[in-house]
Amino acid sequence: MKLEIKNLLPVYFEEERKSTSEIWGKERSFSNGDLVNIVAPSGTGKTSLIHFLYKMRESYSGSILYDGQPLSQFSKEAIAALRKDHVSIILQDMRLFEEQTILENLEIKRQLNPYHPQERIIEMAKRLGVDHRLNALAKNCSYGEQQRAVIIRALLQPFGVLLMDEPFSHLDHANAQKAIDLILEETAGRKALVLFAELEKATGFPATHLYHL
Amino acid sequence: MYTGTNASSRWFSYIGLGIGVLLLLCSVQMFINIQQLLKEGSIRKDGFDFVSITKNITNETMGQPEKNLFHADEIEAVKKQPFIAEVSPLLANDFRVQLSAGNVLPFSTDMFLEALDNDFIDTLPPNFTWKEGEQHIPIILSSDFFEIYNIFAPGQGLPQLSKETAMGIPVQIACYGRDNALTFSGRIVAFSDRVNSVLVPKNFLQWANKTFSQKDRQDASRLFLKLKDVNDPQLIRYLDAQHYVINRDKTLLGRNKIVLQGIFSGLGIFGLLVVILALMLFSFYLQLVVARSRQNLELLLTLGYSPAWLGKNVSNQFVPVYIFIVLTALICTQLMQWAFHRFIMFNRPELSSLINWIVLLLAGVLVLMAIVTNARLVKKLLYRLG
Repeated sequence: MKLEIKNLLPVYFEEERKSTSEIWGKERSFSNGDLVNIVAPSGTGKTSLIHFLYKMRESYSGSILYDGQPLSQFSKEAIAALRKDHVSIILQDMRLFEEQTILENLEIKRQLNPYHPQERIIEMAKRLGVDHRLNALAKNCSYGEQQRAVIIRALLQPFGVLLMDEPFSHLDHANAQKAIDLILEETAGRKALVLFAELEKATGFPATHLYHL
Repeated sequence: MYTGTNASSRWFSYIGLGIGVLLLLCSVQMFINIQQLLKEGSIRKDGFDFVSITKNITNETMGQPEKNLFHADEIEAVKKQPFIAEVSPLLANDFRVQLSAGNVLPFSTDMFLEALDNDFIDTLPPNFTWKEGEQHIPIILSSDFFEIYNIFAPGQGLPQLSKETAMGIPVQIACYGRDNALTFSGRIVAFSDRVNSVLVPKNFLQWANKTFSQKDRQDASRLFLKLKDVNDPQLIRYLDAQHYVINRDKTLLGRNKIVLQGIFSGLGIFGLLVVILALMLFSFYLQLVVARSRQNLELLLTLGYSPAWLGKNVSNQFVPVYIFIVLTALICTQLMQWAFHRFIMFNRPELSSLINWIVLLLAGVLVLMAIVTNARLVKKLLYRLG
């Protein structure tokens, strides 16, 4: 899947940002297999960018295109289809159903468009070291455990684009590396584009493109 | 999704909806009942009402027959009214008539004869004709008059008669002019529920009036009206303005019908208002449900669940509830109709113990309306979230 951004800028940013950023106000095009690392210190609009790309917010000027289609023209139903089949996301603020168990949270996502069988959930949970927490309520899990569940959740659907907003902020280095390895393995199978926004340049992530926001 | 939140507001709206639907269905059923009862109650031929009108005889007009008769111009004026389909003057005899049963019964009485256009007669046998020179005259007698005869007959030493026997008895009709008299033989050929009179063929009466009375009287004492609707308020207003008097029974029935239908229309409108109010209450409840589950719904949308699918799922949960409510109201209406027919109307044949198909259709429409408004509301709320 091809993702293009053209002259993008949050409406709440000054025009000058365009001169210092490698993303804002520029034309960029990404396609299948690209591993894009966006380095963005606090306050540079990292979460805004991810939200714009997932159409969770639309407070920007410029345009975002998926396979040449402007995102702003997608209907509510088309957005739902895009999220179900083509674009997956790992959000910084996680967003789990707190009253459901981790396994239920993952099943809710998996059943929407099953890419993997249920056993794969357990395999991935084992690899990330959260298999013993699958039956715990989300609200009773630590941030680290929740973050690993969110990573697994993002990998349960088919996708051509994976958006990641500080996906390892609550993980130690060893666990983060395990997660990166799993993500790379899953995206390689799908020949997907990964857009990884992080505070600093990610170690252990073999980026093909590196941009400073 | 709604873990026991605000169950009372939900139950209030369910009960409100149930009461509203019940009121609406009952009102419609009663409205139909009244229609059926009153349609059967009035004498109708080909969907028309027939009534006779006279002038109001007051102390001032007493003894002045010309003032109490309908003149040709007045008859024309009545004919022109849009709510009157047809008019026929009732022609009366202008000579002395005596009726006797000859040798069969020792019965003789002064009588009157009237004639009416055949179209206006409810029970018109094919032999109700007369040709000049014929001795035999067919008679159509009012059922009411016949009933009165049977009431006074025993007191007069006369036998009570069945309709069949009466039709077999030949009667002598003696007509007396100023200087001529003729006796005809007559026979009752039919009884009329509609016309309170002794009817003979019109051409006979015209001929007889000319023969026995030198005056050529054209004016009628009564007019027979063929009406599209005897309860038309325009008609009642017109007749009141002209000081014409209409058959009391029929207008009373009509006036009762207007009042009863008014009451049930009012009740029906009230029921409809209750239904709308309950649906509104329900929509507030739904908004509350969606607002309380806002976070969860938003997350589902974020994960890629379609708002249309989610909306259908949320609103489909209420479909059985709606069906249950309307079905309960329908069963209550059926019970009401059965009890009304059985205990109040004593199984009158005009009515049915079963509810009318219109009520069933209405119930279906109500279910559909509730489902559609509900689904639209939920979808709208979800689109606002996503």
